[in-house]
Amino acid sequence: MSMLTLGLLFGVVTLLFMFSGAPISFALGSVAVLFMYLFMPASALNTVTQNVYEEMASITLLSIPLFILKGAAIGRSRAGQDLYAAMHVWMGRIPGGLGIANVFACALFAAMAGSSPATCSAIGSAGIPEMRRRGYSPGFAAGIIAAGGTLGILLPPSITMILYAVAAEQSLGRLFLAGIFPGVLLVMLFAGYAVVRYRKEYRLAEAEFKRSGTASALLANETFTTREKFEMLPRVVPFVLLLVGVMVALYGGFATPSETAGLGAILALALIAVIYGVWRPRDVAPILTATLKESTMLMLIIGMSLLFSYVMSFLHISQSTAEWVVGMQLSKWILLAAVLVMVILLGFFLPPVSIILMTAPIILPPLKAAGFDLIWFGVLMTIVMETGLIHPPVGLNIFVIKNIAPDIPLKDIIWGVVPFVALMLFAVVLICIFPGIATALPDAVMGVAATKP
Amino acid sequence: MSHGIEIVAAQAAMDPDMPRILQPLARLLQWVNQALVVLGMVALLVASCVLTYSVISRYVMHASTDWQDEAAVFCLVGATFLCGAFVQSMRGHVGIEAIAGLLPRSVNQVRLVFVDLLGSAFCSFFAWKSWTLFHEAWVEQQTTSSSWAPPLWIPYGLMAAGMTLLSLQLLVQLSATANGLRKQVSGVSA
Repeated sequence: MSMLTLGLLFGVVTLLFMFSGAPISFALGSVAVLFMYLFMPASALNTVTQNVYEEMASITLLSIPLFILKGAAIGRSRAGQDLYAAMHVWMGRIPGGLGIANVFACALFAAMAGSSPATCSAIGSAGIPEMRRRGYSPGFAAGIIAAGGTLGILLPPSITMILYAVAAEQSLGRLFLAGIFPGVLLVMLFAGYAVVRYRKEYRLAEAEFKRSGTASALLANETFTTREKFEMLPRVVPFVLLLVGVMVALYGGFATPSETAGLGAILALALIAVIYGVWRPRDVAPILTATLKESTMLMLIIGMSLLFSYVMSFLHISQSTAEWVVGMQLSKWILLAAVLVMVILLGFFLPPVSIILMTAPIILPPLKAAGFDLIWFGVLMTIVMETGLIHPPVGLNIFVIKNIAPDIPLKDIIWGVVPFVALMLFAVVLICIFPGIATALPDAVMGVAATKP
Repeated sequence: MSHGIEIVAAQAAMDPDMPRILQPLARLLQWVNQALVVLGMVALLVASCVLTYSVISRYVMHASTDWQDEAAVFCLVGATFLCGAFVQSMRGHVGIEAIAGLLPRSVNQVRLVFVDLLGSAFCSFFAWKSWTLFHEAWVEQQTTSSSWAPPLWIPYGLMAAGMTLLSLQLLVQLSATANGLRKQVSGVSA
């Protein structure tokens, strides 16, 4: 059988199994085993389980359940509301400050919890009603939260980045650092847009007031005393310390990324026990159950995706596809654009986890051959996958928001989100023009990589 | 990717299409799954503590850290595989459901049977191969290649047990879906 036929057959069977609606892990595993049986030596089938175990039994990958535990502990406590309330009080004076407060609260929470949907529901459940009460249009309020939530997979510790580091064989610490400035850039873009949009809505409300005399809540002024501001601090500071402490442990050379995960989980559990009194087995069990549920699902997808890419590379499908892409002699930016468009399209259907593990063996060699820095590309790919979390048809965050604010029509949410998708793509372009946004920080902290392609 | 949102159902409701003869098995599985979730919780906490201890022992007591990573790996591999059946019992393993809404109801029912069949076949195969792997490691007394060198039959055994439970869970669910399809077909022809 020619390489082309085999590759096409593999692709078609994969699509068929995936779109049958079978769980992603079982679908990928079945495709792998089927092709092993048909095209690989009989002995391959005997070692399939050993293969999966050896791929999975890496402490880097297995730090994922612990990062999820840390996120679940913070996500299920009142930390989100408190963080939001503090931001709100401190940003009260700036025009559009409420919107900015929401963006900042999302970013900080995302950095602690590392999960997009958890951020949306934690900050959104307090932030969306407050913004709407203060006269923000529902779509705008929903857009801020949906977009703010996506920061979770860009700011460290991001599960998506752990997988990318494993798949691309890049340093995880370096990749985490590379995500920070782009994350800050996105926060600034989102906050800037929040101010612009607020001004526009404010003018409309003013015009409406002059015309009909009905004052929108947007026109009301709200001020907080200095005393109120400082009263908010004690509830938030411990979580910010947790965030900073974990970062110091990781980059000060005290702990490996996986140790950071364990340490972070224990500290997060200890914090919610001390601050919110969540320590009884009855209170902690739901956190652990939710963690097990999500991490089991993810780890099985990861294990089977790794088996899938093993088969793909054993049969030389990934190498041939990669060679074919290189052979097309595309200019490097067209190649990059094509890859990113493909990632967006895959993002319609697949979670970031599967996108990375399934496509890495195919897309990374051509990108490397074209002279792109793979750390830098990891950041780009992550931002592009973030848009997949908020754009229709499946954007997970949209449905999380639909869940916490059921009375906002889906259409409004989607239109509210669109400008943020545009901002994220703008950030991608900026990072392409100024690669330093991603690479400067890891180069400064960890030294310039010795093996730049 | 949905933690922090849904409240975990304490006990999944029994599928009304479950064949009567399998109901005791389904109940037993529910019970075993609950027990394993508790074990999984303990494993998560132990893994976190072990890794925290690893940091502390290295920087406070200047001890070498040789066994912590592997111990954590064993805990987490165990938690992952042993809870697979629990997650499946709530249909928590996500798939691409994009076409489900486009298909007519009867075709969709056939699709659901196919999906469960695929899952059962794959997981049974995987369970079988895990047991042979476990057997090999047990007989040959294989250990990991580290200096601590714990026996490999421990994680292999956890994997085999977990996948076996998962296949059982899938078979029980498959029989319920297939039974539902059968009822539907006989209902249409009658």
